[in-house]
Amino acid sequence: MSVESWLWALGGELRRQGLAEEHAAAVIVDVRTHLRDSAEDPYRAFGTPERYAAAVVESLRGPVSQVRPVGPVRLRAEGISKRYGRRQVLRGVGLTVQSGQIAAIVGANGCGKSTLLRICAGLVTPDAGTVCVHGTLSYSPQEDGTVPHLLPDEHFVLVGAGQGLSRDRARAAGRDRAAQLGWRDVGTTTAGRLSGGTRQKLNLVMSTLTEPDVLLLDEPYQGFDRGAYVNLWQELWRLRDAGKAIVVVTHLLNELDQADVVLDLTEANG
Amino acid sequence: MTVAEMTLREIVRRRGVIALLLLLPLAFYLIRRDQYVGQSVRSLFIGVGWAVSTAALFSTIGARSIEPRLRLAGYRSHDLYLGRLAGLWVLGALLAAPFLLLVRFDTSGLRYGAVSLAMLCCVVIAAPLGMLVGYVLPREMEGTLLLLTAVALQMIIDPASRIAKLTPFWSSREIGTYAIDHTGTGYLVRGAVHGAVVILLMLAFVAIASSARLRRRSHLRRA
Repeated sequence: MSVESWLWALGGELRRQGLAEEHAAAVIVDVRTHLRDSAEDPYRAFGTPERYAAAVVESLRGPVSQVRPVGPVRLRAEGISKRYGRRQVLRGVGLTVQSGQIAAIVGANGCGKSTLLRICAGLVTPDAGTVCVHGTLSYSPQEDGTVPHLLPDEHFVLVGAGQGLSRDRARAAGRDRAAQLGWRDVGTTTAGRLSGGTRQKLNLVMSTLTEPDVLLLDEPYQGFDRGAYVNLWQELWRLRDAGKAIVVVTHLLNELDQADVVLDLTEANG
Repeated sequence: MTVAEMTLREIVRRRGVIALLLLLPLAFYLIRRDQYVGQSVRSLFIGVGWAVSTAALFSTIGARSIEPRLRLAGYRSHDLYLGRLAGLWVLGALLAAPFLLLVRFDTSGLRYGAVSLAMLCCVVIAAPLGMLVGYVLPREMEGTLLLLTAVALQMIIDPASRIAKLTPFWSSREIGTYAIDHTGTGYLVRGAVHGAVVILLMLAFVAIASSARLRRRSHLRRA
């Protein structure tokens, strides 16, 4: 099937599944651009039109609501307060996330979303409050977090060595996770020369490489195109269904229906 | 070892930086070469010390965002700073080697074993010095300026004065005097002792600074 035929079939499938015309058109434009730039076969890049359309619609609408079993509490933050100088950033904030849940932290710019995540990761000390984590923990920052002059494979080896992974296993695990985010050729470009979106994929792979029980992600989709965004949520659902507890900082309100728990810091801080 | 290897890979890829790090000690050596060769060699020690400490500064600042993640990934803080030190010492040895050869073949009548010891002192002290500056001053500009200030003081202060003993590379000056001026062993012993004390102090400060920065915070309980 040619690219145009594949796109035509995708458009038809998106409309058949009830996606609004303007959203369907936007998806087609993004996918066409990706296929043109990458010169990839559409089946190889996205699978069948039906399957990809279902994934897109699900990501935009959210999965059919169902009662999913959740496990024990993996992260409990209570009474978190933090002040920077005269500015009270967080005031008595709490968050509980269980195994098999995705929690979204939302709020206006400057309301303390990243600060709360860094407190949960143990990177910043709050003025008050405690955080209890059951299991292993991993954190992906909003930016930086990589070594500009190292290759992606070298990042995988570096992170994997902390858990005792051999180099081959670490590289294989890293490349596998990268492929799940649509990043199939990690290549020989150092991290500092990757595009913003690809560098953020590297950040994400580094934080999931060690299979942590609790995953803290600060705006992980920065620079992602729509295809990568869909892949990200599919990967997060897979991790959630595998029993991970995931906390995502986001300012995109249309992601709220993807999360099991929502903490709006604008309200929480009063 | 992985941290040491990646430290070395990361710095070696910065080819422009490596070229400049080689240029400065060479400039220090050549600028006095027509006058008293001993002064050239002493200046070279300071130049190598500055080059290695600057490389250590850049490496430490460059790792600020990844080290907390590596800590969460399972590394202990001493794995990280010792690994980085090992990589920087290897880099220092690679930077110093051509200059040792230069001195060996460009000069005569020096005690070359002592010249090597003085250079070794510079490299071993410079790496933790640069790391410490990187922990204290998290920006490359400020850190580089502080190291330049330290180097300038090292060159200006009378080495016979008391305050000179507080400078990090005083050991290399003393050992250098033994090597160049064929003095008695007193200079060698004083220099070696000072070097050993400074190295131990630098290592202790680096351990404290790194552990403090990557410490497990009291509000976080792991079960």
